[in-house]
Amino acid sequence: MMGDQFRKVEQYSPKSSPRGARSPVVSRQDSSGTLKTTILLGKNPSIVPSGPFYLMKEPPGESELTGATNLMAYYGLEHSYSKFSGKKLKEQLSSFLPTLPGVIDSPGQHDNSSLRSVIEKPPIGGKELLPLTSIQLDGFRLHPGALPEQYRYANAAPMKKHKNKHKKHKHKDGGLPSQETTITDAGSDTHEKKHKKQKRHDEDKERKKRKKEKKRKKQKHSPEHSGGLTPSQHSNS
Amino acid sequence: MASSLENLESQLELFIENVRQIHIIVSDFQPQSQNVLNQKLLALVHGLQEVDKLKSQVQDVHVPLEVFDYIDQGRNPQLYTKDCIEKALAKNEQVKGKIDAYRKFKANMLLELSKTFPTELSKYRAIRGDE
Repeated sequence: MMGDQFRKVEQYSPKSSPRGARSPVVSRQDSSGTLKTTILLGKNPSIVPSGPFYLMKEPPGESELTGATNLMAYYGLEHSYSKFSGKKLKEQLSSFLPTLPGVIDSPGQHDNSSLRSVIEKPPIGGKELLPLTSIQLDGFRLHPGALPEQYRYANAAPMKKHKNKHKKHKHKDGGLPSQETTITDAGSDTHEKKHKKQKRHDEDKERKKRKKEKKRKKQKHSPEHSGGLTPSQHSNS
Repeated sequence: MASSLENLESQLELFIENVRQIHIIVSDFQPQSQNVLNQKLLALVHGLQEVDKLKSQVQDVHVPLEVFDYIDQGRNPQLYTKDCIEKALAKNEQVKGKIDAYRKFKANMLLELSKTFPTELSKYRAIRGDE
């Protein structure tokens, strides 16, 4: 009866233990090398650990920089942290690039302008960039008239108040013209506004000069004028 | 490094401004604007040449790809920087907490072991040396 029971147990006992072919009773050699063992042979063979501590391994080497130190301070990024954590950042891309014209807050996938697509499908490069010849420029000869409505979106882009402020500031620095600038002068590049201002100034001067001359002529022909000098001319002479 | 990036930035701004002006010219084209347009187109090529020249100066600038996702979604890329800083800080605090907890645990363990196994622990200390 007992024998049957044992046989039954044997039958169901696993052929291989989760520890492999090792016996859990007999301890294996320590990989750290700190565990000394004595193997006793004879009538009752046994393995006796002879070292002072079982499973004592070398401690991991101490590294100078760990997560215990304030890494933000270590790398001098406290300023950046306070800069970004202090104020509430605006969500839109246009608040980061206020000078960029057009609608830039819409997803790039919509109009095929995503930066991902540039990485995934890199444009053809490596060729030398050459200026267009006059024949090539003939290809850009346009018909007079306004663009169809759907292509005018960039002009209709809503400009925020702060954007204009920033732009104004930028123009002061770089002299970039505003959107309303009319471009007619071929020689001017980004300083049309400046030139226009100067032109206006010159025109004013000319107008004043003409007025003065007219006045002088009038005074010459007037009955009061008898070849004498006007008070202003007196002071001049 | 900073100056090369500033150079690139100003070149790109000039380029964008040029494109914007072309847009204005062509959106209501007048025959007398043809010469201006031709000049702008030449300036466009020149702008591309200038940007191309600057590429060697920014070879060692590494941009995380995740930033592009923010930009493509029309979001402020500074939000990415903010998120990264906040994540790094949280992880730093978490790891510091773990290290502190392990230190306390070790100190307590040694204290309790020295009470229970004084001889063994003195041997242990002798082996470790620095404990």
